[in-house]
Amino acid sequence: MNWLDSTVHRALVEAVLVGALGGVVGVFVVARRLPFFTMALTHATFPGIVVAALLGVNIYLGGGLFGLLVVAAVLAFGRGRGQDFTTATGIALSGGFALGVVLVSSQDGFTKDLAAYTVGDVLAVGTGDLVATVSVAAGVLLVLALVGKELLLAAFDPVGAAALGLPTVLLDFALLAVVEVTVVATVPALGTILAVALIVGPAATARLLTDRFAPLFPLAAGIGVACALAGVWVSTQWNVATGASIALFVGLVFGAVFLGTAVRGRAGRAAAVRA
Amino acid sequence: MSERAPTLVLDRASVAYGDVPVLEELNGVVHEGEAVALIGPNGAGKSTFIKALLGLVPVVRGRIEVLGRPPAQARRDVAYVPQADTLDPDFPVSVEQVVMMGRYRRIGWLRRPSADDRAEVADALERVGLAGRARDRFGTLSGGQRQRVLLARAIAAKPRMLLLDEPFNGVDAVSQHALLEAIGSLKAQGASVVVSTHDLAIAHLACDEVCLLNRSQFGFGPTGDVLTPERLRATYGGHALELRGDRVIVTQT
Repeated sequence: MNWLDSTVHRALVEAVLVGALGGVVGVFVVARRLPFFTMALTHATFPGIVVAALLGVNIYLGGGLFGLLVVAAVLAFGRGRGQDFTTATGIALSGGFALGVVLVSSQDGFTKDLAAYTVGDVLAVGTGDLVATVSVAAGVLLVLALVGKELLLAAFDPVGAAALGLPTVLLDFALLAVVEVTVVATVPALGTILAVALIVGPAATARLLTDRFAPLFPLAAGIGVACALAGVWVSTQWNVATGASIALFVGLVFGAVFLGTAVRGRAGRAAAVRA
Repeated sequence: MSERAPTLVLDRASVAYGDVPVLEELNGVVHEGEAVALIGPNGAGKSTFIKALLGLVPVVRGRIEVLGRPPAQARRDVAYVPQADTLDPDFPVSVEQVVMMGRYRRIGWLRRPSADDRAEVADALERVGLAGRARDRFGTLSGGQRQRVLLARAIAAKPRMLLLDEPFNGVDAVSQHALLEAIGSLKAQGASVVVSTHDLAIAHLACDEVCLLNRSQFGFGPTGDVLTPERLRATYGGHALELRGDRVIVTQT
């Protein structure tokens, strides 16, 4: 019998993968202040997944393609005159989610399917899901390793990046696409609503613990993995929803670290610098 | 001594965002080792002028040549220094990392900084008087120090032309002095400098030439010839007062 034949084993592997992936990608999401965009992306990917499920094609393909469309639309709209990235994002969030709900509600078994898509179930992931997550993680790490320094510059100083002649639109698209495929890879485990927790939470927590850029990646990945494993463990012990348990741990760890660092006066000093 | 080569040529140039012209009829020449001050009220188009020299805003009529090339093709030899307060002070990036960004063009895609790059970064920080702050987070420095870090980033790029957008705004005296020193040493090495500022005293002190701007050009030439009460009054639309003959105070920027 194969070790991966066990539901719990597969869930543990998936938890480690999405925890690490979400943490690493989250560093850019948090530094670039994209949590709201990520939130919108998770919701806008939803109809793509539903359509794929209805048509019986690969849901990663459906969610991924639809998400890329949304990324392109948000970029195009956000760059238009007098428009704001946040406005475009808000429209994508509500519009995407609404379309997904309409599509699901047109089918039988509405409530059960909606729950599966929106909060996920890491205990239901198959070997195919694991392969998909591994591929996404490998691709994302490759992109970050290759153009990490350019992404850093474009995040910190977009005009400076353009002044150097870097293709900033392409870099923006690369980053948003990385976020998008991460969201799609995380959805089966955590669902469209909770996926954002593993992408934003661990990186935001790591940011409280260090001011340096490079250590953020291992720190966020470690926190993500720990929360994901803890969530799976709690959920199998007490038979509660896995995705929600993971998201709860992410929130608890962030809260604890925030309080801890605030007590140590770190937050106070940061505020003094900002003032 | 040989004639200094022109590094910036403006020939009846107009620049525009889409259909909206921002600056019209720009004329003038800047040579190696010269500094030109861009002076004009807020909204006059000073930042747009700088972006046009970077090729980020299109020239719709006439011609702009930077280092003998169209602006977008000269970027490798041009360094841009933004206003420090336009950058996120909470961003988790060290002073050293910010200065290293000036080397990215030379390092190239997919490659990592070499020992030479690190040496250039250390040298650039030395030149702006911040050698001891390399490991600090960028946002923990004062506004003036952050401005000096951004100048160090430009120095590390070894530019032949330096573009600075309002570098003296809200900068303390120590940092102002450090910025002026560093700009002076770049000029001495033959770099051309374009700097936008509200400060007429700095224009006198640091710049050989002045370009008066308010949507169009109200003067371009040697500082002493151009910074006259009449021209300033014309540029600022009457919001300039004359003090004791040759001194001028601008009452509204």
